[in-house]
Amino acid sequence: MKSNGFFRLMVNPFTRIAGWQAFGLGLVFLVVSGIIGGFGNLVFDGVIDSHLVKQVTMMQSFSYIAISLLTLVLVMWIAGLFIAKGFRFIDILGTMTLSKAPFLLLAIVGYFAEMPDMNEVMKNPLAIFNSMSMVVLMILSIPVLVWSITLMYNALKISCGASGGKLTTAFIIAILTSEAISKLLIYFLL
Amino acid sequence: MLPTNCPSCQAQLKVKCLRCENCQTEVSGSYDLPLLALLPESDQQFILRFVINSGSLKEMASELKLSYPTVRNMLNDIINKIKTDEK
Repeated sequence: MKSNGFFRLMVNPFTRIAGWQAFGLGLVFLVVSGIIGGFGNLVFDGVIDSHLVKQVTMMQSFSYIAISLLTLVLVMWIAGLFIAKGFRFIDILGTMTLSKAPFLLLAIVGYFAEMPDMNEVMKNPLAIFNSMSMVVLMILSIPVLVWSITLMYNALKISCGASGGKLTTAFIIAILTSEAISKLLIYFLL
Repeated sequence: MLPTNCPSCQAQLKVKCLRCENCQTEVSGSYDLPLLALLPESDQQFILRFVINSGSLKEMASELKLSYPTVRNMLNDIINKIKTDEK
């Protein structure tokens, strides 16, 4: 019973925390992710993206995070306007910020991961499996992504008070749109 | 808790008789139950707490240890139930 409650809190903490509180807590997670990602050369270059790069500055690390967060919040807010009324922007801002918290796990693992030699990988794609830390990062990225998307879905659900097919459709369109917009913004701005 | 539905066929019950405990007078008829009485006990408790908290969702959220949008969604669910019952 207790573990069930814990699991529910992990996938939907927004019944307990939203608004400014969630925003503050989410920002702490994002700042720590940005710092570790900056040192570990792991960038969060999209709403649901992360990649190991050769070199990244702290400024770039935080710029990637800021662009992806702002895009996510604005697109989800617009999606919310289509499916619900009378909700607060701060709830979308707070819950969406907190829903990116699982990426901290990737930042930590990414810090220890070694970037494989891309020339070698181009010749032999299986060479990527020579780096154990890279394999762990790749495997971990799947549950982290699922966890984060689940959090984003519940964030929109709780913040807007929407449910059913309308919510699911709006969420799928919004997540894909925000990912595409964030990628374009990062491409053109950074 | 006041029963509101027939235990046999689940149809909505009506009040047939009211009795004065003081003089034992009985008033018979067929009266509709008040809208609030048709709501589940948990919803009635929510409305009671809402009134006691002067209609402040923030205070309700703090009292129930829930987030503001969760409490607002609970209120919206009750409003929808009342609107359905009104029809």
